[in-house]
Amino acid sequence: MFSSVKKIVLDKIEMKMLRVTFLDGKISDVPKDDNNRHYQEILAWVADGNTIEEAD
Amino acid sequence: MALSKIDVANMLTGATPVANGGTALTSGFKNGTDPRPTSKPIIVNGNMAVSQRSTSVTGIGNGGEGYHTIDRFKFEEGNTPSAVWTMTQESLTSGNAYNAGFTKALKMDCTTSDDASGHANILNVVKYATERQDTHLFKKGTSNAEKYTVAFWIKATKTGTHICELRDNANDRACSVAYTVSTTNTWEHKVLNFPADTTGAIGTGNSKGLEIYWSLYSGSGYQGATLQTAWGGASTNARYTGQVNNADSTSNNWHLTGVQLEIGEFSSTTLPPFQHESYGDNLIRCQRYYEKSFEQGTTPAAGVSAPDGRVFGSWDGQSARTEIDFNTTKRASPTVTVYRGANTGSGTGTGTANFIYSGAWNNHGTVTNHADDSHVSLTATTGNFTTNAAHVADMNFTADAEL
Repeated sequence: MFSSVKKIVLDKIEMKMLRVTFLDGKISDVPKDDNNRHYQEILAWVADGNTIEEAD
Repeated sequence: MALSKIDVANMLTGATPVANGGTALTSGFKNGTDPRPTSKPIIVNGNMAVSQRSTSVTGIGNGGEGYHTIDRFKFEEGNTPSAVWTMTQESLTSGNAYNAGFTKALKMDCTTSDDASGHANILNVVKYATERQDTHLFKKGTSNAEKYTVAFWIKATKTGTHICELRDNANDRACSVAYTVSTTNTWEHKVLNFPADTTGAIGTGNSKGLEIYWSLYSGSGYQGATLQTAWGGASTNARYTGQVNNADSTSNNWHLTGVQLEIGEFSSTTLPPFQHESYGDNLIRCQRYYEKSFEQGTTPAAGVSAPDGRVFGSWDGQSARTEIDFNTTKRASPTVTVYRGANTGSGTGTGTANFIYSGAWNNHGTVTNHADDSHVSLTATTGNFTTNAAHVADMNFTADAEL
């Protein structure tokens, strides 16, 4: 599903969004909204032992 | 209308006058008394007319769960199935579904077969989901619970028993109905009745409510018990008992269109007519779940020509920001993907846009600093912008709030 998930930080403030790279290489931004299906998948991905990376 | 055709008899008795002197129906749909309590069809895009993401995607199989072509209709898989499909928005020019008023259909073309022996719990389905707040009109979980009618046109290479399942996502309850495809590769209209469920109110809110599953094929783990034809706790081994394997040959195709979900029990003769919407109305309803800045008919991708007119404003010469208002309020905060336009750039191109400065187009990364159901705000940081200046950008975007 995801090859990486990173936090988004602007002006030293962490946004309520996550930068996701899907397995096919597509880069998208996912809101930390429990009703967003990609965020639900990220939570499941983390529960499987994966880690959300710090922002670049 | 000729005077001789005016239904004077019914006018005098107070009954519903019938054009051309016919006999008024006494059940189901009657002229002027549509039994539906909604002005719009419950199913969005049931005629498969809108296909914003693409009109054809190949290689859909293990790991390919998601929305690929037809808006609102999702492919789901489970437990490493081997079957691979091409999913297409098919144009119809003949056949029973076309003659019934449909010009588009969802087509699943099996390109890699699977005899379903590899894993008991493999699964491929096509699914539609409603929001909970749009579902309580069935009064599920109350003593007044309504029955359900699911109707659709299907054409399949595989004849025999097929399964359609209703699931209550809020309470993990389910009910399945078997139907028969009688003639290979021929459009057939199916009208399926599901019982009422007095247990498990679906509730409100914008998360998944009622789901309709059409089984393509499954392993023995989904077919080990008697098909669950009454509402009850979802039982994996009773979901698709008897389902033929639509993936057992690369010669197999499976097509679907004209999907209706109606309140109450209808037969093929009493079923209310399909509620056709204009393409524009249909598109707006679909955009609650997915919107793109690309032209309709263009598959979202990097390097596609954009209007080159979006403006980012820079306040410090380092960063620049723009805001986009969505055409339609989204179901929830969407996933946002930005695609660079055609002017410059390389690689996948998602998460970047082209900006003009120093007399040339330059490709830089963008991030979404905010997204809610109404708009999105994007920021680019390059260090090359001009303080208190606007910079034209070359980009497209998609916003995905699907269930």
